[in-house]
Amino acid sequence: MAAAGMRCPACGSTNIVDDDLYSQAQLVCVDCGSVVSEGVLANDPVGGSDVSFSRTTAVAKRPCTNLIKGELLPSKRSFSLLLQCNSVLLLVHFLKWICFTHTGQQRVKAICRILMVNREIEDLSQTYYKMAYEHKAFLKVSLQKKEILTGCCVLLSCRQLNWPITVGTISCLLDADSMAVGAIYQEMVKNLSIEAPIINVTDVIEAHCHEYKISSLDVPEEMAENSRDLTKRAVALVELAADSWIVTGRKPIPIMMAVTYLAWQSLKPNKHRLKFSLDKFCQVAKVKKLKSAMKRVAEIKEVLCKLGKEIPWVRETVTPDNVIQLVECILQNRYALLRRAMRTHEDALLEESQASCAEAPPEGTASSQISECADQAPIMSFVKQNGLNSDGKEKPGDVDYNPRVLPKHSDTQESQNPPPNWGKRVLFAPPCVIHAKKRRAVQPEHTDVTGDEEISDSEIDSYIRTPQEARDFALMQHMLSLSDSAKS
Amino acid sequence: MDSSNDEALDIIITNVVATFRTRCHLNLRTIALEGTNVIYKPEVGKVLMKLRKPMITASIWSSGKIICTGATSEDEAKLGARRLARCLQKLGFKVRFSAFKVVNVLAVCSMPFAVNLINFTKNNRPIASYEPELHPAATYRIKNLKATIQVFSTGSLTVTGISLLTRLNTHRHIKYLTPFYVQLRRHIGLRD
Repeated sequence: MAAAGMRCPACGSTNIVDDDLYSQAQLVCVDCGSVVSEGVLANDPVGGSDVSFSRTTAVAKRPCTNLIKGELLPSKRSFSLLLQCNSVLLLVHFLKWICFTHTGQQRVKAICRILMVNREIEDLSQTYYKMAYEHKAFLKVSLQKKEILTGCCVLLSCRQLNWPITVGTISCLLDADSMAVGAIYQEMVKNLSIEAPIINVTDVIEAHCHEYKISSLDVPEEMAENSRDLTKRAVALVELAADSWIVTGRKPIPIMMAVTYLAWQSLKPNKHRLKFSLDKFCQVAKVKKLKSAMKRVAEIKEVLCKLGKEIPWVRETVTPDNVIQLVECILQNRYALLRRAMRTHEDALLEESQASCAEAPPEGTASSQISECADQAPIMSFVKQNGLNSDGKEKPGDVDYNPRVLPKHSDTQESQNPPPNWGKRVLFAPPCVIHAKKRRAVQPEHTDVTGDEEISDSEIDSYIRTPQEARDFALMQHMLSLSDSAKS
Repeated sequence: MDSSNDEALDIIITNVVATFRTRCHLNLRTIALEGTNVIYKPEVGKVLMKLRKPMITASIWSSGKIICTGATSEDEAKLGARRLARCLQKLGFKVRFSAFKVVNVLAVCSMPFAVNLINFTKNNRPIASYEPELHPAATYRIKNLKATIQVFSTGSLTVTGISLLTRLNTHRHIKYLTPFYVQLRRHIGLRD
């Protein structure tokens, strides 16, 4: 029957009838034949379908978003790892920003918000992500790599705009291995041809110190320390460590941990604090301890001892145990002490070389050419044995570096032995050079090998089992597999 | 100035990697059973065979492709490869030694001074890269020689590249490295 009050839009008549076409309901005007309205072709079940259209037609089955691992929700393990990294107040802000991000851009934004970086960095990282995502090198990589890429973009923009952040923090946030993050970061930098400065440990140390919960709110008064004082002392210690070759080539976080611990001890060097080991300190400050931090502590203490010896008013011998009390004094006058230490060391070396020169005819004017400046060691020219002169003396004519002139040494004794480690003659050098491992004697090279020699049968037979041996071996393997299956 | 070739740098080649083909299918189980000094890795699908003289480790795949590592010179690598092929021949496979090619050469060199990697990287920006959290050395890539040099703070250098191949090229490398040596001396900073 016609719906009351309906008019055909084409001819204006009211003579409209229900005329269903197969299963589709239609209202048709009788006079002109135009279809006034029609119903849906298929009816959805009441209350909506069980399966939505998008899910039925999805090409790749995606797991439920609740099940996707690592959607910026750290596991319990990584909570403690987060604290170890130098991220500031992550926990509080993180809880505000738990989000399921579906696109990389949103993820980049989330990471930036969590790290509380400024607007500029956020925009720059979005730009980089867009560039990297569309670069052909990253078009066909796995989803996991694309997720890591978001973190790398943030890392890159933070570095460029001088926001101190470490690879460790980003890998914690992404719940990924730091080596994987590093690899993708380097690939990205190479493909986008961007230069990024390296992090400076002194910048990062401030953020790192904030992580340690040793303010007066968290721990008893005798162990508490003001964050600002701690940072200041730690920065001075890090600069000293950098000057004495402890920082170069090492991971920054164990160094920062060691330096924070020593700074805390030295701010109030009473018996109580000195008895605290690094383990206990990390427990109190609720930070996860790193194994190599202990080694760094020992190395820094060694350097402090070397400088502590130069303090004129200290009478007793300076040992790693009692050097902590002197730390404040050492740091205040560190440059002067460094110069003094270098001068003392050079004087000592001079005396030694003069003593050895007195035995053999002098080769060059070694004494007059020892450089004044700090960490320069007298350089030994490591000449191959067959490069030495016939009389066994070293060749003069080292690298002449302007303005420093390198000394020429005549060490007839030493040229006959294997050349000693140059680290032994220097006051400050990378610790693995000072305490070098003993090397095995170098195997004599096969200089007569040409590659086309005859290979005798007997030699080859030593690499092949006899048939009896092969049978025995097969039997034994069979027996072993039987016993394994019997056990299980 | 420092320009002489027989200067203090002794570059020692520590590893030569070479590949060759046997042009026949190899039964890995037979090799594992009848060969000595072999390690069978069925999950990867290869057999590791270690030779004593020269000290070489070979990865043998069933397709007949073999990679030899551990030799200290190109000639030694060839000798080791031929020895290996002969060994496989004796085991009963119809081996034809072909397509021998040195793929990579690794050498080490030691500078008698420490290098401040941060200053070094700053001064050689796009060519050198340094990530202390990932690797303790700075990587310096020489494009025209297709070599990579890893500079450690202790002054040790690791040079990797196929162009280190012949004795002749080793001298080229020394020549190249000597101004590099001078440049390194200039760039080691005492304080940042």
